[in-house]
Formats: sequence, structure tokens, C-alpha cells
Amino acid sequence: MITVKTLNNQIQELENIELEMLLEAIYRYYGYDFREYALPFIQRRVYHRVRKEKLTSISALQEKVLRDPQVMQKLFSDFSINVTEMFRDPPFFKSLRTKVVPIMKEQKHIRIWHVGSSTGEEVYSMAILLYEEGLYDKSKIYATDIDACNLEKAKQGIFSIDGMQLYTQNYFEAGGKRAFSEYYKALGEQVVFHPFLKENVVFAQHNLAMDHSFNEFDMIICRNVLIYFNKTLQNKVHQLLYESLRIKGFLGLGQREGIRFTSYGNCYEEFDSKEKLYRKYK
Amino acid sequence: MKFKTKLYASIGSILVLISIVVIVLLNMLEQSTVNMHVIVNELNERIDMSSSIKFETANIGRELREITTERSEESISISMNGWEQSHVSLKLAIESLEKMDGQEKSQELIAKFKTLHDSYQDTAQQLLTIQRINREVDIEPLLWEDAELTRQRMLQIAELLQGLQEQELKNELFRSRDSYNWAVQMIYIYLTVGLVLAIAVTYWIIRSITKNLNNVTAVMQSVTSSNVGPMPRIAIATKDEFGAIAKAFNKMAQSLEKQSRLEKKLKEEAEEHSWLKTKIAEIATMYPEFRNVQMLADLLILKLVPMVGGSWGVFYIKEAEEDQLYLKKRASYALSDKNNEFDRFRIGEGLIGQCAAEKRIILMDQIPGDNIQIHSGIGVVSPKNSIILPVQYETEVLAVIEIASISTFSPSQIKLLEEVVSNIGITMNSIANRMKADKLLQESQALTEELQAQSEELQVQQEELRTTNEKLEEQYESSETKKQELEKVREALEEKAQQLELSSQYKSEFLANMSHELRTPLNSLLILSKILSENGEANLTDKQEEYIRTIHSSGNDLLHLINDILDLAKVESGNLEVIPKEVDLEKVRQFVTRQFSPVARQKDVEFTVQLKSGLPESFYTDQHRLQQILKNLLSNAFKFTETGSVTLVVQETKDEENFMLSFSVTDTGIGIAQEKQRTIFDAFKQADGTTSRQYGGTGLGLSISREIAYLLGGYIEVESVVGKGSTFTLHVPSYQHDEASEPPLLEEVAAGLEENFEEVNVMDANEESSIQLHRKTLLKDKKILIVDDDVRNVFALTAALEKYETDVIYAESGREALEELQANPDTELILMDIMMPDMDGFEAMRRIRRLPKHASIPIIAVTAKAMKHNREECLEAGATDYISKPIDIDQLFSIMHVWLYRKKE
Repeated sequence: MITVKTLNNQIQELENIELEMLLEAIYRYYGYDFREYALPFIQRRVYHRVRKEKLTSISALQEKVLRDPQVMQKLFSDFSINVTEMFRDPPFFKSLRTKVVPIMKEQKHIRIWHVGSSTGEEVYSMAILLYEEGLYDKSKIYATDIDACNLEKAKQGIFSIDGMQLYTQNYFEAGGKRAFSEYYKALGEQVVFHPFLKENVVFAQHNLAMDHSFNEFDMIICRNVLIYFNKTLQNKVHQLLYESLRIKGFLGLGQREGIRFTSYGNCYEEFDSKEKLYRKYK
Repeated sequence: MKFKTKLYASIGSILVLISIVVIVLLNMLEQSTVNMHVIVNELNERIDMSSSIKFETANIGRELREITTERSEESISISMNGWEQSHVSLKLAIESLEKMDGQEKSQELIAKFKTLHDSYQDTAQQLLTIQRINREVDIEPLLWEDAELTRQRMLQIAELLQGLQEQELKNELFRSRDSYNWAVQMIYIYLTVGLVLAIAVTYWIIRSITKNLNNVTAVMQSVTSSNVGPMPRIAIATKDEFGAIAKAFNKMAQSLEKQSRLEKKLKEEAEEHSWLKTKIAEIATMYPEFRNVQMLADLLILKLVPMVGGSWGVFYIKEAEEDQLYLKKRASYALSDKNNEFDRFRIGEGLIGQCAAEKRIILMDQIPGDNIQIHSGIGVVSPKNSIILPVQYETEVLAVIEIASISTFSPSQIKLLEEVVSNIGITMNSIANRMKADKLLQESQALTEELQAQSEELQVQQEELRTTNEKLEEQYESSETKKQELEKVREALEEKAQQLELSSQYKSEFLANMSHELRTPLNSLLILSKILSENGEANLTDKQEEYIRTIHSSGNDLLHLINDILDLAKVESGNLEVIPKEVDLEKVRQFVTRQFSPVARQKDVEFTVQLKSGLPESFYTDQHRLQQILKNLLSNAFKFTETGSVTLVVQETKDEENFMLSFSVTDTGIGIAQEKQRTIFDAFKQADGTTSRQYGGTGLGLSISREIAYLLGGYIEVESVVGKGSTFTLHVPSYQHDEASEPPLLEEVAAGLEENFEEVNVMDANEESSIQLHRKTLLKDKKILIVDDDVRNVFALTAALEKYETDVIYAESGREALEELQANPDTELILMDIMMPDMDGFEAMRRIRRLPKHASIPIIAVTAKAMKHNREECLEAGATDYISKPIDIDQLFSIMHVWLYRKKE
């Protein structure tokens, strides 16, 4: 019994060492820093890749990753989870529309940072929302993601048609004011969103683990990004977000995220606690 | 005398005095009024009587005349009557006047009048008697005159009487005025006397009262100004009310003194209480700051020790270590415990442990000696008192605090400590709970986030799976179609192959014939030119000999060319046969050495053949073809090498999984430029078009070699540097034994799995046609129900849709729509107008949604523009999406695209 236990522990320890070395190697060689990502997540993704590559150990994967940039690219894609949809969590967008927009209406310019914008669905949703509320012309959305491929897709504004039925529903639930079909054109299996929706959007690559603040924003949307980071990195990113947000600015987090136990938890007040909308007050 | 008696006496006497004066005055007035009344009445009566005497006197005179003068009996009797009466009343009046007027003069006159009256009566009686006797007789004038004279005198007297009465009235009036004046004078006198009396009495009373009052006031005033200490007393010994006041005041002063003593005591107690409360509150305000127990210990000891005048303090917290409970020192005040000997105690160990065990406060007075030393900047102090307090929550001791002081702890300080300590227990417990809760919350937050991450990952994996599935399906489908296509192609190919076989046969035959036909004349040409060039008869000039040799070598070249073409043709038509058999490497070496040593010698180029160690002795391949390739490569090498060396190296290499034999031919010739290295394998190509002249050759050798190498299951590689030389390497599989009898299976690499992302460009020129195509595939044979009462709309939409062979049905009202839907259960999408007669769109949608079969059919509501309300109503009624009028046909197609899209199952 004890021997089994210790054996398991040994294996666990070994795997942890392998994992750490892999991340260190990736950082040293490719410059991508995943060392402060949530360990269980990284573990699962790495094993996912190990299986896919038909390997048996992380060390073997390490060799492949270092020797073959294509495998690295695959692993990189594994680490970037792109679960998104237009008007994802419609009540969140509804809250933005009914509670935040009236406050922002008076501003001359609105700067919004969409952190981890993935393939851009939520960015376009935001653009539509701002457009319908008459704020789009004075808004600038900075959509950033770690993955350049994602940004490339986001820039195109072309999405698969199979999500559109859900997106239409979401749009209505989020308080959409027009016909959703006014914004897109169906082309075969895809829909092309109207190019004006990206006119005020800046797509840029940004790595939360390594890059710095690049502007001061009125609102930062960072939904379901931090869940992949460990506590240390979460706190670092919260510092970055805090430094990038003006006083009285809004911070939107994911449905299952919270700010209370982070290092900047006491700098925000709950604006809409259900939709995880916070407002910086000091 | 009492103040009350004084007041009663004085005011009473004034009242009595005034009453007497008033009664006297009233009496006087009454008397004078009565007098006046009597006088005036009596006098008036007397005047009346005297006047009636006068009147009756006059009357009797007149009546007597009438009686005497009258003739008629009747009037005589009337006058007689009047006459009698007048006498009677005259008599009455005179008698009463006589009674009333007591004056001497009047009595005299009345007596005179009476006598006169009696005489007049006698006279009159005579007259009357005469008259009665003889009426016709005239009255004695004398008698008559006498009567009349008497009566005249009576009248005079009556007048005198009247005058007397009037005179008396006047006299009476004068008298009464005098008595009135006297009365008024009396009143003045009385009032003056009364007033003086009253003032005197009042003054006397007020003086006596104010004197005592001032006395009392003075004492009372001295009380207010001197509140502290004993109060003054009033020293009045009189027995009146002031004496009572003084007594009462003195009593009050006494009780006030008592009261103030009590009050002072209470105030002191209250101050002490409030000090306690303030300090407790001061500490209580710190509680929210405590984030953890350490902070609590640090801040509390820092605050508490100076608060109770202590100079030394330690905070021990109960902690478990290795299954044993210890009280550990977590914070201290002014402690210099260098050896850490008091770092921790077990429960019951030392006084600290004892305190925890007993759960009670331990107070030590007068600690002897220098047990504890407090180091200050000046020296060392030893506290004399120490208090050890247990911090409890409910019944559990959580911590112990010890505070030492050089002075004694006051009861209030001890009380403060007790109170604070009891609060700390609660706070520590709540901190512990809060930290526990925080930790749990944090854990739960972390878990939630982890869960979200996992769910997203799962979604991604699901998505990947789905994509993979889709791809597999697509691949399956495409492989199916490909299979069919392949089948077709295969059939076509077969056909072609047959044709080809036929034509190839023709070609081979043709080529065989051609080569034969070509070789035959060429042979004679070669032979004859050879003979001629030897110049046996020596009749040819040098020049001619030269020509002939050229003809010979050109013919030779031509022959090679023809052979090569033949080989190439065979290779290409697949007619080149490969006959593998065991090949001895040594034999290969001998062959090349034999073949090329002479050439090397001739060109003065070094030639070496190396067989590396570890080679098999023999392997399976087509020896003839191998030799052909090697010959080709070596002759090329020699061809392009003027100086230096040509080397053939044979070694074994490993390519992926198979062992290969490689034959490398390295020369030090002109080399081949990088960009030409690929083209040299093409037919009729040399590295440089210009070099062909210099080096000759057909340019077919390498391409044939390559083809043959393929046939042997190998390939040729080239490495070259211009000016340095080239290396051509032939790799052939090193088949042993009978492996080679099975032809190598060249796996056909499946088409890449990468998704071919269709470049969708909005501005693409082909957009229109591609859209049309998409629409057609999407809309073809789809049954769509249009519900609209406006026929023009229906017509326009139908026209637009039928272009794509859509199956359009329509209804003019909600009711009809329901009927149509019943009749066409395979309807896939509904376009629903809202404003319709009979049954409007809302109702229709609600009804449709109630049908289980169509609960999820896409319904696109068509509404008038900019009616937000309308739109929400649509969605509530069951619309899936909505489009506003006038309908933009592209938008409509986009919507239909979205809602007709079905995920591949």
C-alpha cells in the first residue's frame, strides 16, 4: 500500500519536473512564458498533446517541441483555449447596455480593452452594442490576444454559420435593438460581418504574462482568461489591468471569476456582482 | 406677633373703619331724604288745601248767585247740590289745614276764616230761606251784599294762607341744602382720617416683612455662590413664618450637602466607568483591522500594555504542534528575552500554562527580587506586579496575556483587562472563522475557475472532435466520390491503357523497327568510316583523314543517342524490364574498374573505387541496370573532369526504415550551379546549353539513370559546387534474399487533412456567382411558407425564391397558415407577416408554437421598421428571428441561410 503510494508520488514528482522543464525550455527557446499558467490546466493540455503525438512522456514531447517548431505551434494552440461566442452570457451584455452605457454616454471618447479576444466574436458583439447605443463613433476597441492566428481570424470578421442561430438568440437576449441580420451576410458555410464593425477596432498581439500596460482604458473586458493562470500570474495580470484602467473605469470578468481574493480586490466596487462587473474606485 | 395676625388686624381695622364711615354717611343721606320728602309732601298738601279753600270759596259765591237767580226748580236743585258739596269740601280742607299747619299765624288765620265761613253760611241760609218762601220776591240787596262781603274776606284769608304755605316751602328747601353741605364736609373728613390710618398700617406691615425676607435672601444668595463645602445657615429665631422658613432652609441645606456628597461619589464612579468604556471602545475599533491572529496579537499588546500603565507584556497563543498544545509567544512589549526561554509553554506549565489550565486570572503583587527585568535606556527596572489573563472563547482558552507593571494595577485597570480579554476571545474566534471562510471561499473560487477552464477545454475538445468527425465524414464522402471517380478514371484508364498498350506496342514496334532501320545504315557508315580512317592505302590527305574520323565519331554518337532514346522510350512505356538477382559487389567493382581505368589513364585522371566496411557481400537488384547507371554517372564524371580525380564510394546508409546502398561518384570537374541541379535530370538538358558543345553527349544519360533508379526502388542525389566538382549518389535498396521478389509497396500518401479554407473575399469578383451557387444549393427544394396578405409581397418573394427552385407555399392569413402547415408538415421555414386580417402574425406564431411538430421550426417575423415594441412582441410570440420591411433581399437570404443551416448530424 505504502509502496504504491510512494510510487505514485514519485511518478507525480517526476511528471512535475518534466512539466516544469518543458515550460522552462519553451520559455528559453521560443520565448513563450507559460510557467505561471495553472498547473492542472497545463498538465491536461500537455498530456493531450502527448497523446496526439503518440508519445509516452512529457520528455519525449519536449524533444519534439524543441526540434520541431510545428509541434510547438500545435502545443501553443492547445494552450490557447478559444471558447467564445457572440454575446456570450447575454445578461452580461445586457448589463453593459442598460447600466454601463448610460454612464459612458457623456464621455467624449471611450477606450475599451478586450483582453483575450480570441477569434473576435465578443469584440464584434461589443461593436454592435456600441453602435446601437450611438457610442461606436467615439469608441476605440483594443482587441488583444496571445495568438496571432486568432487575431488574423478576428480581423477577417468571418464566422462559421453554425453558431449563428445561437448568436441570434444571444443577441436578442442581450437586448439587441435591431435585426441581427443587418450586420452580416451569409456566404455558404460562413457569415461575413459588416466591415464597419471593425473600423474602430485595433487588433494586436499582447501577452498578458510578459507584456506591459499600453494605454489607459475606460473599460476592460477580460473574461475567462485568468482562469488559465495560477494565483501569482492572476495577481500580476490584475495589477496590469488595474494600471490600465482609469478611476471609475469598468472591469468585466467571466461568469465564474471574481475579484475578491485578488491583490486588487479592494480597489474595485461591485457594480453588477451577478454579471461580474466591477468599477475601480481608488 | 405673627405675620398673618398682623395682616388680618391691619386690613381688618381698615375695613371696619371704612364700613363705619359708609354707614354713617348712608344714615345721614337717608335722614335728609326722608326729611325732604316729608317736608315737600306736607307742604305741597298744604299748598293744595289752601288753593282748594280758595277755589271752593269762589265756587260757593257763584253757586249762591245761581241759586238765587235761577227760576227752574231743576237747575236750582243742581246748584243747591253743588253748593252743599262745596261747603263740605271747604270745611274738610280748612279742618285738615288746621291740623297740618302748626304755625301760630296760620292758626290765627284759620280761626278767623272759620268764623267768617260760619257767618257766611248763616247769611246764605237766610237768603235761601227767603228765596224758598217767595220765589218771586227779590232778595234783600243788603243781605246779599253782606254775604258777598263775608265771602270776599274769606277769599282774602284763603290767599294769605296760601302765601304762608309757599313761604314755608321755600324756607324748608333752604334748610335741607344746608344739611347736605354739612354731610359732604363730614365725608371728606372721614376719608382723610381713614387714608392716613391705612397708609400707616401698610407701611408698618411691609417694613416688618421685607426686613426678614432680605435676611433670608442674603443667606440663600450666599448658597448659590458657594456651592462646594458646607452651606450657610439662616439665623432667625423669631416664631413667625420667617422662623419657619429659616428652619426649613437649614434643613434643606443639610440634605443638599448630603446630596452633593453622594453626587460627587457617583460622578467619580461614572468617570471611571466611562474611562473603561472609552478604552474598551478604543480597542474595539481596532478589531476590524485585524486580518489575522498575528496582527491581533501585535496590535493588541502594543495598545493594551500602556493603557493599563504596564511596562512589559507578552501575548501567547495556543497552537498545536505535533499533536501537543502549546502556548506560543506571538507578540511582546518591551521584552528582552534573548534566550527565548519563555517562547512556549505547555498547558499547566509555569504560570502561563497554569492560567490556561485554570481559566482564571492570576494576579501577582509584590514580586520579590529581580525576577523580571525591563531594560530601558537608563538601566534595568524590575516590575513589582504582574497579571496573567486567559483569553477564552466560550470555555476554550485561545490565548494568554501577561502584563507586568512597576506600579500596582488599579481595580479599574484590572476590570478593563478583564473586559478586553473577554472580547478578544470572541474576536479571535471570529478571525479564525473568517479566515476559514475566506480560505474556503478562495478554494471554491479557484475550483469554480478551474471548472470553467475545464468546461471550456471540454468544449474545445468537443469542437475538435466534431471537426474531426466532420472532416472524417467529409473525407469519407470525398473518398466515396473519389472512389467513384477513381472507378471511372480507372475504367477510362483501362481503356486508355488498352489503347496505350496498343499504341505503345506500335511505338515499341516502331522504335524497334526504327532503331533497326537506323542501325543498319549506321552500322555500315560506322564500319566504312572506320576502315577509311585507318587509311590503309595511304591515299588520303591528313585533312581527309580528319574528316573521316569526325564522321566516325559522330556516327558513334548517333548510335549512342539511338540506344538512349530506345531505353528512354522503354522506361517511359514501362517496357523496361527489371530482373533482380543476386549481385556480387565485388563484381560490380571489377566491372567499373575494367571499364574506366583506361579512360582514366587516357585523361590522366586519378580513379579509385572504394567499398566501405560493413557492406554485405551481395544484394538483390538488376545488375545490368545498376551497371548502366554507374556507367552513366562515371562517364559523365570523366567527361567533365580535366584534372584531379574521380572516385566511386560504395557504402551502406539508412533511410527512414530501410537499409540502402549508396554509390557516390565524386569528381573534381567543373561542377553544376545550384539552380541547374534540378534540370540536369530532364531529358536533353545539360548544366549549360553552351557546354554541350564542349563536352558533347546526348543529355539523356541522367534522365535515363534517374528513371532506372526509380525502377530499382532508389533515387539519385546530386551535390555540387561550381568549379570544385560534383557528387552524384545513387541510392538503391539493399534487399537481401528474396525480399526483392515482392515489388516495393509505395504507399500513396493520402491527401493532407488540412482543411482547405476557402478564401472568402467580400470584394471578390466571383462573389456574385458563388453566392448564386450557394443559394441554389441551400434553397433548392426547400419548402418555405410565406404568410402575408399583400399579394404583391408574396409575388415578389416567390419570384425571388423560385429562381433558386425553392418550393414556395403561401397563406394570406394566420388561419390559412395553420392550415397550410397541417397540409405541408415538411415545411422548413416560415416567413410571417404581422399585420394581417382574420388572425394576425402574433397569434399565428403562438398557435404554431403550440403544435409539437412545429415547436422549433424557424419563423422569421416580418414587421414594419423601427417598431422596437413590435419586435419584442414578435420574439415573445415565438419568432425565431425578425426582419423589417421593406425587405432587403440579401438580408433575407442571409437570414434564411442561417436558419436553414443544419449541422451535419
